[in-house]
Amino acid sequence: MTTKKRYLRVTHLLFIVLLLIQLIPDKSTNPTFTGALIAFAAGLELIAFIASTFIKKEQGLALLLDIVGFIYVLLGVWSLATAKFNVLNPLLFPAPGEVIHQFAEDKQQILINIGSSLGTTLAGFLIAVAVAVPLGLFIGWSARIGSAATYITKFFSSIPPIVYIPYGIALLPTFKSVSVFVIFLATFWPVFAGTMSGVLGVDKRIIDSAKVLNVSKPEMLFSVILPASLQQIFLGCNQGLSVSFILLTSAEMIGARDGMGYYVKYYSDFGDYTRTITGLLVIGIVVIAVTFLFNKLQSHLLRWKR
Amino acid sequence: MTTNKIEIKDLTVNYIENKRSFNALHDVSFGVGRGEFVSVVGASGCGKSTLLSVLEGLYAPAGGSVQIDGKELHGTGTERGVVFQHYSLFPWMTTKKNIEFGIKQSRRGIKRGEREKIADEFLRKVGLAEFGGKYPSQLSGGMQQRAAIARALAMNTEILLMDEPFSAIDPKNRIILQELLLKLWEGDGTEERKTVVFVTHDIDEAILLSDKIVVLTAHPGTVNEVVNVPFERPRNRADLVKTDEYGKFRSRILSLLNNDVAERIGGDEVVL
Repeated sequence: MTTKKRYLRVTHLLFIVLLLIQLIPDKSTNPTFTGALIAFAAGLELIAFIASTFIKKEQGLALLLDIVGFIYVLLGVWSLATAKFNVLNPLLFPAPGEVIHQFAEDKQQILINIGSSLGTTLAGFLIAVAVAVPLGLFIGWSARIGSAATYITKFFSSIPPIVYIPYGIALLPTFKSVSVFVIFLATFWPVFAGTMSGVLGVDKRIIDSAKVLNVSKPEMLFSVILPASLQQIFLGCNQGLSVSFILLTSAEMIGARDGMGYYVKYYSDFGDYTRTITGLLVIGIVVIAVTFLFNKLQSHLLRWKR
Repeated sequence: MTTNKIEIKDLTVNYIENKRSFNALHDVSFGVGRGEFVSVVGASGCGKSTLLSVLEGLYAPAGGSVQIDGKELHGTGTERGVVFQHYSLFPWMTTKKNIEFGIKQSRRGIKRGEREKIADEFLRKVGLAEFGGKYPSQLSGGMQQRAAIARALAMNTEILLMDEPFSAIDPKNRIILQELLLKLWEGDGTEERKTVVFVTHDIDEAILLSDKIVVLTAHPGTVNEVVNVPFERPRNRADLVKTDEYGKFRSRILSLLNNDVAERIGGDEVVL
């Protein structure tokens, strides 16, 4: 990459446009915290420059700069529609500066809520994976049961997990345990189904190759069948993970005392839409971050595939 | 006769496909001596790969017997190393890890450090010293088969079973691999040679490598003839193919194969 290609990007032009927009006098009478917005954008710009210097792969850098550019456009349009020209209802739609300011104010509270949401999700998700994968390997490998198990799994995975909530509430002591239970069910079936279809789909030649090496039964399951079906297992995990987030935030909006779903619901009840929007954006960012990390893990574990 | 390493007697194998049973092999009998290199050749569908599956222990015969060192064969065993045409290596392990895994299976009790040393040694022997850290998908087909051979040899089994190991390799690399195998198997005479059963449809490959060629005919697979290869070892391809004897011998094997084809198509009017 040439220096020109590295540093002369549309993204930086968009940053300047965003700053110019901020020169337009506010029409909104609410405090708009333009300073917070500028500080936030400047922070992003700093990250973009540091990344331009250190990221070696052109594709990766282009992706990052495109995302940053998109955020600038979003912030620009958003401030035009709110603070600058008052197009949207100022009660329902706070200016971007307000949301950034609010986030800084509530940082502590938001972090605690994120921690609570993530803890619940991860607990349900990890328990489900830890149970579903060995069970799927074992049952899938005993092929005869495997065929019946496919239909049983299809039946259970077609039931939306949210309908288990009443039973969870009736059977389990705390809201936390109900959430973990529901996320467990939401993750268990897709991961179990993925593992089984992975096992049933393992190339016979790979199994023959392992058999002539005289592998023991545990080795066959965990050193051969498990890695050979890993891609399918990850398909199930991805499905489980995205359903988990949807479920958890909905569940938190119903009856939790903490978590990001609770944060959004609680403040929208008071008509505090600045905090509501802040919560929504934070949920989006957290979900993207977790998915990103999970995909990283997936491509690391499947690096042997072309 | 009783000194044979592998003794196959009246072997009959049925294959079930679409609920119909096929007689894949019928009354096949031959022996493989200790340290002998035996090729099994035949047209496709003659059951030569099925025969090897039985020797590998992956397929149970319907009748007859296979004995190794006088003992009836039951399932897979650590005294046999196998090289397949595809997927001998596990795609999720690096080349070196694949070899180490093989050593771990066949030579229990060898420590990790020792396994690594043996793996490195055999990678070097097949010319893959630099490629131990690569995954199979990062290697060419020829390099994958080199690694598979390295693993089979590193496992130090008494018997080596090879199922068309070079069939999917381009002609130029196939010749290189044949010569590598020949060199590794013939050795320098200090070590005892391994007993090899090698399945192929390439006659030149069979002649170059083998002490003995078993010609199979199809439908059902039966032994047409077992031919001793008369050429001295160590062999050299370039010198060997120049001789008249080679040409004559090659024609003989070819006619043994083609007899069968001519009969099946319908008599002596067919010119091949």
